[in-house]
Amino acid sequence: MSKQTKFESYREMPIRAMTVDNMLWNETGSWRNVKPVYDNKVSPCIYGCPAGENIQHYIQLVIDRKYKEAWETIIESNPMPAVTGRVCSHPCMDKCTRGDYDESVNINAIERALGDMGLDNPEWMTKSKKSKKEKVAVVGSGPAGLTSAFYLARAGYSVTLYEAEETLGGVLRWGIPEYRLPNSVLDRVIDSILSSGKIKVKTGTAVGEDIEFKELENNFDAVFIGVGLMKSRRLGIPGEDCKGVEPGLDYLRKVNSGRASGSSGKSVVIGGGNTAMDVARSALRKGSDVTVVYRRTRTEMPAIASEIEEAEKEGIKFRFLASPKEIVTDGDKLAKVIFQEMELGEPDETGRRSPVPLEGKTFTMDVDRLFTAIGEKGDLDGFKSEVDTEWELIKVKGEFGETGRKKIFAGGDIVTGAASVVEAVAAGRRAAEKILRIFNNEKDPPVRDGTDFGIENINTDYFPKSKRVLKPRIPVSEAIKGFEEIFKGFDEQMLQKEVDRCFSCGVCNYCDNCWIYCPDASIIRKDDEYEIDFDFCKGCLVCVEECPRSALSIEEEGK
Amino acid sequence: MKKVVMGNHAVSYGVRASEAKVISAYPITPQTHIVELLSELVANGEIDAKFIKVESEHSAMAACVGASAAGSRAFTATSSQGLLLMTEMLHWAVGARLPIVLTNVNRAIGPPWSIWTDQNDSLSMRDVGWIQIYCESNQETQDAIPQAFKIAEEVQLPVMLVLDAFFLSHTYEIVDLLDVEKVREFLPPYNPELKIDPADPHSFGNLASADYYMELRYMIEEAMDEARGVIKRVGKEFGEHFGRHYGMVVPYRCDDADVILVTSGTVASTTRAVIDEMRDEGIKIGALKIRILRPFPFKEVSEVLCSAKKVAVLDRNISFGNHGIFYQEVKSALYGKTDIPVSGYILGLGGRDVTPKVIREVADKAIKDKNPEPYINWIGVKK
Repeated sequence: MSKQTKFESYREMPIRAMTVDNMLWNETGSWRNVKPVYDNKVSPCIYGCPAGENIQHYIQLVIDRKYKEAWETIIESNPMPAVTGRVCSHPCMDKCTRGDYDESVNINAIERALGDMGLDNPEWMTKSKKSKKEKVAVVGSGPAGLTSAFYLARAGYSVTLYEAEETLGGVLRWGIPEYRLPNSVLDRVIDSILSSGKIKVKTGTAVGEDIEFKELENNFDAVFIGVGLMKSRRLGIPGEDCKGVEPGLDYLRKVNSGRASGSSGKSVVIGGGNTAMDVARSALRKGSDVTVVYRRTRTEMPAIASEIEEAEKEGIKFRFLASPKEIVTDGDKLAKVIFQEMELGEPDETGRRSPVPLEGKTFTMDVDRLFTAIGEKGDLDGFKSEVDTEWELIKVKGEFGETGRKKIFAGGDIVTGAASVVEAVAAGRRAAEKILRIFNNEKDPPVRDGTDFGIENINTDYFPKSKRVLKPRIPVSEAIKGFEEIFKGFDEQMLQKEVDRCFSCGVCNYCDNCWIYCPDASIIRKDDEYEIDFDFCKGCLVCVEECPRSALSIEEEGK
Repeated sequence: MKKVVMGNHAVSYGVRASEAKVISAYPITPQTHIVELLSELVANGEIDAKFIKVESEHSAMAACVGASAAGSRAFTATSSQGLLLMTEMLHWAVGARLPIVLTNVNRAIGPPWSIWTDQNDSLSMRDVGWIQIYCESNQETQDAIPQAFKIAEEVQLPVMLVLDAFFLSHTYEIVDLLDVEKVREFLPPYNPELKIDPADPHSFGNLASADYYMELRYMIEEAMDEARGVIKRVGKEFGEHFGRHYGMVVPYRCDDADVILVTSGTVASTTRAVIDEMRDEGIKIGALKIRILRPFPFKEVSEVLCSAKKVAVLDRNISFGNHGIFYQEVKSALYGKTDIPVSGYILGLGGRDVTPKVIREVADKAIKDKNPEPYINWIGVKK
């Protein structure tokens, strides 16, 4: 503190009530008992994404029209945004804070827009210049296999990709109809992934038939198994092998390769998952009158909600609480199906209520074609003796796909059972990263904590309510005429309108609010950050209060 | 350039001519036209000033305080409840010695709700430390602005200009509009020595112990006293520049008057018409307009009034429990100088019209009463 000035006469005093001496010594920072700190959180959407895409970050990059950087941000976690931007079940959007305010941000459409930009700008995918000595074999070229191959090749390792079919893509190619994911898009995605590094492709090579698994184990430094589930489960009822009954996956494979013939008449699809929806909607497009029969109710259907809605709009009929009991044939051909009526009983281990037969209640339907879509299973013949299996799935020991056997990793549906594309992508990346860490003698990263970030952390006064921008689409009446992709991508205007809805939960996006509101002008704006001048910040916390997104936290002084 | 303008707009043109740099105001009837026109003049570039919109009159004065402390010429306008809401900041402007100019359009205070004129709003700020100038015509409301800034900036005290609601604020008269270039010769740009400067930080409005508070108050009163001379000199200089002279008081036919009516504001003009009428009848009567209430012109008032035999003070205001406020002021000016009777009349509250007939009634009563009532004479109350 400076010395106190003494005046002998009022004539020595300034007329204004003010100090005579300069007050630079009295920095208001000395008044502070709490202080604001810039403290970025992890946005809930990022926790919602199985692949952990840095969604908040790439959305903010899109706002700045840094599209290439935004695409590169996705690619850090997922090499196929053009695929997931079309078919993902987008659990990120269920976690989006904006969902508790008006409507969650259409992250899926934003991801697709960026994915398509990546395909339109193939030079964005640069080929790895690194060259490492270790070699990895990847078995299966579905989302898990392609993803693991990508991250390994990008790090400079030689990858050999084994695929039993003549073309790459796995379930993406054979299991998803073109009205959801056109083959032309998939081809470009695969080309993009293959261009990222040294990936040798061995198609038409079934491990266990064309090449022994032992050979892979001997010749490579690591092996990733991502073969997926390519066999339909059987109904296990009389008459199942007659003409006219077909596994849904087989039918989808025919449809996707252009080998499925048109069919009039009445088709029934058994099942309530995504395969059932894909089969039903494909059969409808081929000319059938289609009914989906599911043994539980609509609430328990495991298919993506929007897929069920689309199926309904297209005219697919649903019969719930029924299960096929017997197939009646006419000669060697399907004629009728007798169904057992069901009711819902106690919840099973998944929390869903189990269907229980209603004694003596059955009904019969005339059916021309019956498709089964009650689940898929793996074909483990090639490596059953090499890895632990359970319920015809590979049993892994760790969260990175370790099978317990040195060098051998697995991921995707063959581990989890039928799950989503993004979960397979996540599994492929986790295993690849684990393999990379083993090669480089690195430790595993800490497991991320959960988040309790919610709408109460958003200063909603700053956000006018707005409607989600939807992907443009062709009308249902047009969609059912063929296999044209139903949903189209955003144009730039739509993209910008939708990204503008992002709250940027918990992450500073340089909105300047703290800087504007600071009554002590103690926030200093730098090019890409703010600094607090603690010489003058008196800890009023107006900045914390006025941050629209809780990117600032409070710390007590002296603790 | 002469133009027919309303009283409120004459104020705005006065502010334009004075080149105020910061204008901050909150709208209130009957003042709103002043800041409305100012906002337009700022928007179209006729005034190079910052117009700060605020959420209350308290903030309007606070903004003026900040602007003035930083060395800007600051103006605001308000009325009635708005002026009352400003009270804390009005005191601040004085204590901080900031030469802000405020135009207050006299409006009665509610309840009962009223938008019409009387002087109780500005008079309730009598003791705050603002120089108060009561205007009579549209021309004066304009001319008073550059004079007010000049006086304020010289003595470092704020100035409140006062005009009657509707009788002046909404009345159209011919006004000779001031030319900016010419006013600049009369009123140089404001550049105070002591102001907020981030490069040389001092604490303003800080704590003063009992050791020094009184000295700072003493200096305010010293400035008020100095203002008496400055107001007269500035009024004279204004006359030299623009041909219209202004003083502390305006006597009318007082030299040989037996009775003098003391007035302020628009009532002064009406009173002069009544004086002329009564003079024609051979009655020796005159009128004294008090233009400056603070600092009170003791000398000028007593010089004019001591020659009369009777004085009647017309008050468009009331200090409950005492009397009209101008009445008290005039009596204190005459104390010890003369023992002529001084009577007080309360009239025209809440905008009630003070017509020549009403003033004649006051004059007749004042002449007739041998020993004027020491009590309040209420004019026109329905009893």
